[in-house]
Amino acid sequence: MHVIMLFGVLLSSYLMVATKRISALIRTFRYQSLFLFMATFAVALKERQAELYAIAGLLLVIKVLAIPHFLYRIIKRIRPSEDLGLFINAQLSLACALSFTWLSWVFTSRLITPPGGTQGIMITVAFSVVLAGIFIMVSRMMALAQIIGLLVMENGLFLLASTVSGGMPFFVEIAIFFDVFVSVIIMGIFVYRINKLFTHIDVNKLSSLKG
Amino acid sequence: MGHFNIPGLFLFDPLSLFFLSVIALVSAPSAVYSIGYLKGESSKRKIGLARLLLAIFLASMALVVSVKNVFIFLVAWEIMSLVSYFLVVFDTTHEKSIRAGMIYIVMTHIGTAFLVAAFALMYKYAHSFDFTAIKSASLTMPAQIRNAIFLLLLVGFGTKAGIVPLHIWLPYAHPQAPSHISSIMSGVMIKTAIYGMIRFILFILGVDSCWWGVLVLTIALTSCLVGIIYALMDKDLKRLLAYSSIENIGVILLGVGLSMFFASIKMPYLAVFSLIAGLYHLINHAIFKGLLFLCAGSVYKATGTRDIEKLGGLIKNMPQTSACFLLGAMAISALPPLNGFVSEWLTLQAFFLGASAVTGPARLFLGISAGLLALTGGLAAACFVKAFGVTFLALPRSRFAENAKEVPLSMRAGMFFLAAMTVIFGLAASPIVRTLAKVAGSATGIDVGKMAFCVNNFMLSPQPGRGIYLSTPLLCLILAAFGLVGFAAYMLIGRRKAVICKTWDCGYYKFGSRNEYTATAFSKPFRIAFSFFLLPYRKTQKIRESFYHIRSFEYETHTTKVFKKYIYEPAIALVFRSARSMKRIQPGSIHLYLSYIFVTMLLLIIFMHKF
Repeated sequence: MHVIMLFGVLLSSYLMVATKRISALIRTFRYQSLFLFMATFAVALKERQAELYAIAGLLLVIKVLAIPHFLYRIIKRIRPSEDLGLFINAQLSLACALSFTWLSWVFTSRLITPPGGTQGIMITVAFSVVLAGIFIMVSRMMALAQIIGLLVMENGLFLLASTVSGGMPFFVEIAIFFDVFVSVIIMGIFVYRINKLFTHIDVNKLSSLKG
Repeated sequence: MGHFNIPGLFLFDPLSLFFLSVIALVSAPSAVYSIGYLKGESSKRKIGLARLLLAIFLASMALVVSVKNVFIFLVAWEIMSLVSYFLVVFDTTHEKSIRAGMIYIVMTHIGTAFLVAAFALMYKYAHSFDFTAIKSASLTMPAQIRNAIFLLLLVGFGTKAGIVPLHIWLPYAHPQAPSHISSIMSGVMIKTAIYGMIRFILFILGVDSCWWGVLVLTIALTSCLVGIIYALMDKDLKRLLAYSSIENIGVILLGVGLSMFFASIKMPYLAVFSLIAGLYHLINHAIFKGLLFLCAGSVYKATGTRDIEKLGGLIKNMPQTSACFLLGAMAISALPPLNGFVSEWLTLQAFFLGASAVTGPARLFLGISAGLLALTGGLAAACFVKAFGVTFLALPRSRFAENAKEVPLSMRAGMFFLAAMTVIFGLAASPIVRTLAKVAGSATGIDVGKMAFCVNNFMLSPQPGRGIYLSTPLLCLILAAFGLVGFAAYMLIGRRKAVICKTWDCGYYKFGSRNEYTATAFSKPFRIAFSFFLLPYRKTQKIRESFYHIRSFEYETHTTKVFKKYIYEPAIALVFRSARSMKRIQPGSIHLYLSYIFVTMLLLIIFMHKF
């Protein structure tokens, strides 16, 4: 069950890398967070720990509901063009994401012996999600993609932390959730401001600001 | 690391006390002078700020010369540098000040970087920041390390002292600061670098290689000549004084370098004697350069310009400032019986005694050095004849000079005090030399109890039995007697022959200030004599009405600043070029920056085992 959810996380990151539209990106991010929530919830059911339930709840509230809702509100407010602005086209991006998964598999198999097993799969998925996140940040022009890329990376790190160290301490986990939430709000406001000032949110054009 | 206990932090040996007294001697009159100087210059708040900065500046200098912990020394040193930077850029309305401050702060931090390196090396061997611990550890250091520390210290302190070719900041920063600050910077601050050299090289490291002294002497001679030649060429009164500071630092370093040289070839008597000469010139330079900067400040305050080509005739409007400047100029030109004469005489004697004590190439070197020092003295005299003559004598060359008024009492008080000091330090040479012998003895670690430096309170004799004597009071009496005799003869015989009429001007009948000898013209012979170094170039442009009548004539002459053009400008250009090539990977694109991180991460994953 847990592993299936993990594949859901991985699959949604492929979808995100391949998508061309902003609203689709946000929607897929919501699916990824949902899969992550379900994976955590499955573990919580198995281990029967109150803290894990709380973390899963927070995941649901913040990453599945609040953040996508907030991002939707921003795009409704500023009405950017739907196009994400791809530096690398969708097919090639997907190929890249697949190669990242292979790379993280190789990396993981060097890290733990014997390779394979649930833990190996989890680390592989976590790494490829992190790489997919940063890939979205690098290869998409619109500022909203940078926000979502960062959130995807955070999802990957969450997964990595929960595999490698069996989850971070509860308070750290909560603090991270709120950090992420606050940073999304701040970045959202920035995007809003950038749009107001320059009438676009194309990060690539911001380089004309330098002296 | 060791903890710092307060009583163990300070060191009040004769060397520290000597430098503390030099600081007090110049700062007190400068502080008094600043009361009048700052009045009306800027707002009340800014004057308050200036006083605060001055207080911090003085406190940091006092700390530099009295701590016995390398770490605290460095902190105090840096505070001193920063506060003096703020004082240089104090007059923020001038773009020149900002530029001067920029050059100053860059150079001074390069110097500090060298000092930090030297101190780190010392710490590595001593495992302590304490002077005494480092002194005892320096005996066990290998020779290469000692040499490296010596060179680092020389560059580090040399930058602050303004030795050639690290002098580049000095002619910018000193003129731009307010005059009382110039006086303290030139009179005292650059001396703290000399303190550092004496303290760390002579006192702590101890000189054992002969080439250290020779290197310092060579640098000192270069500084002397370059400083005074540039001073001769300059027509900005305060910049001229700044260049002259470079020359005088050279003269002081001649004493210090000779002392290192003699210490390394085990001639304790001459080592102490040379250091006395250096220290004597140090305090003298503090006095007369402080005085001259204060006078230059008065001239600036009264006329609003520092360009001596626009001055002239000030002796009539500002007689007291003129008298003070004349006294300072005479002292710096080493005219007896003033203080500059005594110290230059002592330095020359140190060379002569050294030359007769050593043999071979060292004798030749010392002889040539003495000759070059004499040349420097002559050029200094020419320089200050120019400075005084063009600024104060003849007719005023511009409105600024015509409307000049004597400065307020607080400013004159500062100048009078220092002017009196030039006379006192000249006349009281013997007791001062005896005091300085103790200082030099403690700095070099040589027992001076048995050495005889003077015959009695009025006479100075470096080595008894050699027939070399100097008595400034006696010289003063002889000069006064000559003067009296001359004056009496003039009163009795020559007086009636004077006929007062207009100066003959070839029938031109329009004799004015434009016919006067200018500073540029005065320095022309020297420009030609030193053209191999100054690389002068000139531009003339004549507009003729006919063959006989020229309507206008333009003459422009410049000298090439060799060090700036051939050392600093290429270095700066190199820095800018490499910065520009670095800029290519910094285009300001967020995506590119993100992808740098991304690619680094990927590479780290791929080549995980290689690292």
